[in-house]
Amino acid sequence: MQAFEYAGPSTIEEAVKSLTGSKSGVALSGGTDLISRMKDYVTSPDRVVYLKGVKPLAGITETKGGLSIGAGTRLVDVIANKDIAKEFPALQQATLEVGTPQIRNMATVGGNLLQRPRCWYYRSGLGLLGMKDGKSLVRTGDNRYHSIFMTDGDALFTSPSSLATPLIALGATATLVGEKGERTIPVEALYQVPKTSDDRELTILPGEILTKVTIPEPKGKNASYEARQKQAHDWPLVLCSVSLDMNGNEVNNGRVIIYGVAPIPWRSEAAEAAIKGKAITMETAAAAADAAVKAAKPLSANGYKVGLTKTVVKRALLAAAGNRYWEEA
Amino acid sequence: MPSWPEKPRLIGKSIPRIDGLAKASGKIKYPSDMRPEGTLFGVMLYSPHPHAKVTSIDTAAAEKMPGVKGVVVIAKAGATLRYHGDDIAGVAAETEEQARDAVRAIKVDYEILPHVVTEEDAVKPDAPKIVPSGNARKGRAQTTGDPEAAFKEADAVVEAEYSAPVITHVCLEPHGLTARWDRDDAITAWASTQAVGATAGELAGRFSIPVTNVTVLTEVMGGGFGSKFGADVWGLTAAELSKKAGGRPVKMFLDRIQEHLAGGNRPSAAGKVKIAGKKDGTVTAVVATTSGTGGARGGSNFPFPYVYAIKNVSREHTEIFVNGGGARAMRAPGHPQGCLIMEAAMDDLADKLGIDPLEMRLKNLNDGDKVVDANGKPTISRAGIYREQVPIGAKLIGWENRKPRGQNGKGPIKRGYGMALHQWGGGGTAVNKVTCTISPDGSVELKTATQDIGTGARTILAIIAAEILGLEVKDVISNIGNSTFPPGQGSGGSTTSPSMAPPAFNAVSKARDEFLARVGKAINEEPADLTLQDGKLDVKGKAVMSWKDACRKLGMMGVSVTEGFAEGLASGGVAGCQFADVTVDIETGVVKLNKIVAVQDSGLILDMLTWRSQVYGGVIGGLNYGLFEERVMDPGSGLMLNPDMELYKLAGLSDIPEIVVHAHDTPEMRARGVIGVGEPPTISTAAAIGNAVTNAVGVRVNKFPMSPMNVLNALNAASNKEGKA
Repeated sequence: MQAFEYAGPSTIEEAVKSLTGSKSGVALSGGTDLISRMKDYVTSPDRVVYLKGVKPLAGITETKGGLSIGAGTRLVDVIANKDIAKEFPALQQATLEVGTPQIRNMATVGGNLLQRPRCWYYRSGLGLLGMKDGKSLVRTGDNRYHSIFMTDGDALFTSPSSLATPLIALGATATLVGEKGERTIPVEALYQVPKTSDDRELTILPGEILTKVTIPEPKGKNASYEARQKQAHDWPLVLCSVSLDMNGNEVNNGRVIIYGVAPIPWRSEAAEAAIKGKAITMETAAAAADAAVKAAKPLSANGYKVGLTKTVVKRALLAAAGNRYWEEA
Repeated sequence: MPSWPEKPRLIGKSIPRIDGLAKASGKIKYPSDMRPEGTLFGVMLYSPHPHAKVTSIDTAAAEKMPGVKGVVVIAKAGATLRYHGDDIAGVAAETEEQARDAVRAIKVDYEILPHVVTEEDAVKPDAPKIVPSGNARKGRAQTTGDPEAAFKEADAVVEAEYSAPVITHVCLEPHGLTARWDRDDAITAWASTQAVGATAGELAGRFSIPVTNVTVLTEVMGGGFGSKFGADVWGLTAAELSKKAGGRPVKMFLDRIQEHLAGGNRPSAAGKVKIAGKKDGTVTAVVATTSGTGGARGGSNFPFPYVYAIKNVSREHTEIFVNGGGARAMRAPGHPQGCLIMEAAMDDLADKLGIDPLEMRLKNLNDGDKVVDANGKPTISRAGIYREQVPIGAKLIGWENRKPRGQNGKGPIKRGYGMALHQWGGGGTAVNKVTCTISPDGSVELKTATQDIGTGARTILAIIAAEILGLEVKDVISNIGNSTFPPGQGSGGSTTSPSMAPPAFNAVSKARDEFLARVGKAINEEPADLTLQDGKLDVKGKAVMSWKDACRKLGMMGVSVTEGFAEGLASGGVAGCQFADVTVDIETGVVKLNKIVAVQDSGLILDMLTWRSQVYGGVIGGLNYGLFEERVMDPGSGLMLNPDMELYKLAGLSDIPEIVVHAHDTPEMRARGVIGVGEPPTISTAAAIGNAVTNAVGVRVNKFPMSPMNVLNALNAASNKEGKA
């Protein structure tokens, strides 16, 4: 990796100052993503600002009916939190299998939300969009792990955060602090679709620090379901988180967010519409799953993801409704 | 003719490896842990392009960087680089960071050449020729009998395609060595190698110094699987850099990316197979056109047909060249590929004939296939061994629970069973020597220039000595991993134990005889009346003194005997079968292994514990091949996309099922003497898993690994076909 300046602030203010005072400074927390990117020269910052000494960034606190999770909270602490397990199983379920125990002991909520795409073109140093001579290497190459939505554009990678998926489903907000003060935005607004290789997929501004996410009071039911090739240390192929505001047995309003299918956490309004006013049954869940992938445009090698996404959406909905039919056998 | 003891005290028991605690506790130093005083760190510059010519290379800036002690250029101007990862230069510096920075400061200008990195692209008519004779080298078709006539008379014919990708070795310890010039004609190297002797020879040859002046040390090492037989370009570069740096040691080990790119791989394999049989299960014909790539070097051929006796056969193999890292031997070279294609075809034919694939396998065994006994005579029927093993494996897996393909219930979760047979040679070579020294202080040392690549080689030598001298294993110093010792076997092809056990037996036996003769003389007893047991010297069966006291009777001079091979103690040629029990979720394509059974013979087993450990390791390697591993090449950039341990997938603990190892350890097998077991247990695992997945889901999943993508694609292809029909 390239040589860099190192700062170890103890307050948010100092951290912001350290970051803004550099050209390409980055925040370091668990380091499970950043350090490997630096070793591979994918990211070569001139300054690294270590946030684990900023104590107010870590911890889970109750807010009005909801929860506030500091960006520096480790994944292992999210998993162990009883309130999250009880009220926000979608979040716990999506966090449980991230990486390995060693990674979950180091990695933080903020780092998970702001990690860079795992796209193997990006990680091979071919740029965020994987372009060569103005053409997409991804589109004609091995895109088995890439997007099936928004594939008309050049951003074909998939958004990598397992935690963003349930947090968006649960209507969480993210709080960012920068030179000009604090701003709070919906978690989905952390992400954007880059149009060119110079764009970023994250909206966080240079010098800004993500300080916390806040989940509002739980409504109804929520759950996550993911499919992954390996049981140990793997990325979900597809992950779906749902949050269902119930009116008796019927869904008043539902949120369906899918990971692994688009360059942003993918909100499936089609699936949401399909379950509105309905009870979650095998039939309605399957219909919502069909609706979820209707507009999918897979790439050359990831057609299998369409069927897989259907399954994952269906199972996330049924899991929220307490039906885990796939575990029967 | 010598023979192993009929009622051994130690041989065949489960004995912990003698360096196990030192390894597990981190006390012992692996070659990549070695930091001799003054060590410099070496880093290689490798090609960022899949195919390019070096037009100029300028190291001036790199040489001036802080801490840099030397730069060696491998690919000079005009050199062609044939794959992403091909060697360009090496740098040595005071720290690893300085060396990495310096490597990036080497200025290389390239003329980019057109590339092909996938088998599919390589054989396209308009593909750039990356070797002058063309990217596809078709071998001559080899035909026996009359397959076409047999197809006409068959009750069932199956035509199918099967394939498996290139995989890499992923040794836990990377390739490399630390080289130090001790004086102007002597080198010491701490190498992670499977062959200390060959590595010393390569270093000596490169620098034209006497091989006796080269000491290659491999006390322990972290896996090679066939990929670590020499010094390699990077090892020679380390030695050259050490020379430039006035003899300071240079530590040059590949990083994980280079391991995948340049450290070797198992070639891919694909086959179009047409197989036919009769209602009674006789396989009457098989025709296969196969292909594979070993990168730019070749080496993709594999045995086919495999295991079975089939009268009418035609087989043609095409070697495909791509701009990828070169193949190296990998645990049972060729056999896993031949096995998974053959055994898939066997299963598909059995399914079409409506018979149990287990029965069909037994029906088509090759009764003409004889393996040798301990005297080197081909008297043992391999088919006979299979006939004993298969029912054992079937019972252990619960084969009776297997349902015919596609009859696994209505729900999305399907259970399936599969099996496969394999075979291997694994005999010894007769060129090695072992020295056994019994010293007056009671110590016993064995010395030979073989090495322990994790198999237990060190331990089995000590077991042999302890058995013969009536001692405990801990009483024997097993000194290996040093190229200056008497010549020892390179650890490959399952040859180490059958090569090294006989000379160890001979050396220790002769040392014992000389010891008893001299001690007998000293204590006025007939040597024929003396025996050794329980750490004591017996006269006419009665203990008279301790081993140590007996050794003191040697006076000033110990006993030292160097001996070689002898017939009667080792042989080669094994059978073996494996079974898999899997659960597949057909809505996600995710495969879960429930259980794997491995039934394996390998003659006389010297240490049941390390033997079982080798079989476990083989099965785990095989299940990685079956479920996870794949080198992914990008056609556009020509780069390997997953040179890591994240997207190059390998089983973690929770991916590994119950593994039942059954040693086929019968009196008849024991009488064959020592046979190696490195390769056999990894051969048929993937094939058995592929057959189990297919049995579960009801359609052939014809592409390895059995990933959700490949399983779902196979299911989709089958349902599309059904929809059209």
